[in-house]
Amino acid sequence: MGIMKKIFFLLCFLFTFGQVFSQINSSERLVYAASYNMSGLMTQLAQVTMSTEMIKTSKKSFLHLSWEAATFSKWDKFFKIRDSYETYVDPVTLKPSLYKRDIYEGGYAKTEKYIFAANGRSINSTTRKKNNQETKKTFPIGNSSRDIISMIYKLRTVDFSKFKPGQSASFIVVFDEKEYPVYIKYMGLETVSAGNLGRKQCYKLSIAARTNKLTGKDKNIIWMTADVKKVPVLIRFSIPVGTGQLSLSSASGI
Amino acid sequence: MRKIFIISAIIFAVLGIVFTILPLGTIAFLPIGIAVILSFLALQKSKHNQGKLPKLILFISTLTLLVVMGKVVFIKDVVVTDTQFELKKEESKKEDIKDLEGL
Repeated sequence: MGIMKKIFFLLCFLFTFGQVFSQINSSERLVYAASYNMSGLMTQLAQVTMSTEMIKTSKKSFLHLSWEAATFSKWDKFFKIRDSYETYVDPVTLKPSLYKRDIYEGGYAKTEKYIFAANGRSINSTTRKKNNQETKKTFPIGNSSRDIISMIYKLRTVDFSKFKPGQSASFIVVFDEKEYPVYIKYMGLETVSAGNLGRKQCYKLSIAARTNKLTGKDKNIIWMTADVKKVPVLIRFSIPVGTGQLSLSSASGI
Repeated sequence: MRKIFIISAIIFAVLGIVFTILPLGTIAFLPIGIAVILSFLALQKSKHNQGKLPKLILFISTLTLLVVMGKVVFIKDVVVTDTQFELKKEESKKEDIKDLEGL
């Protein structure tokens, strides 16, 4: 998050049951329709669900952040997708302890597990591709590096009301066992449709990363409600094989 | 010219049928629309006794158009409950808790 607003957490409020200091509720469920641009027309392909849950172990509590993608049944016969990305984070700082990725995309499968060292300086990773053997590896990371899911939730704790259009924040994200800097540029306010929340005034944020996984300038954009919850309502992305979007269908437990 | 219209109309009509079978949604309107226009133009260029084939393509294209419209209106996008996926998630969660206990 470039400008890590750690002080923000000190200002974050009342601890109520089911709610955490990070202003991410522990029973939140956001459902999106994922569409892909085919010949200029958006075609709905899959449903993406982002959910949160509080998990307690004998030593401490973790906020379980989960992101799941599943193709609509009509697509399952042609190109079935069952992707799951999840991370267990500290409920206050949103610092990840365990990250898992389990993807199945039209026959291609891969699993990945990262256990973050307590000092946040290294990751013990275990990866497995379809029919391949398990690979274990330990690699160093920066103290502020985090996985992609916790980054999205961390982004929701940034106070964009103090940002001026063009102002940026940055994060370091670990993906495919590599660290990537991710830049978030605040582009201003815009009102967009937000599923069952109606039309909402949103922060418009451009995402850029030094990776070939995202393409174009200001073509990867996220709209988050311009309120304390900062619910992502629309995400437009541009990848090497085309463009698409995730639009919020329903939000509950926020 | 008539022959070109007919051949093109047949190609787009077939493409329209393929797109209708595949879950491509409104994209199917594109080849079907072109097939309708081309078959109509072929019909205009046809003499009185030559209109059978363009009329047949026009009929098939219109029918495909109605099928796509019906699919768009009546078939909702749903995700079926994948028991295998759900089971895998439950097992994964148990494993995660074990890992978290060790941290």
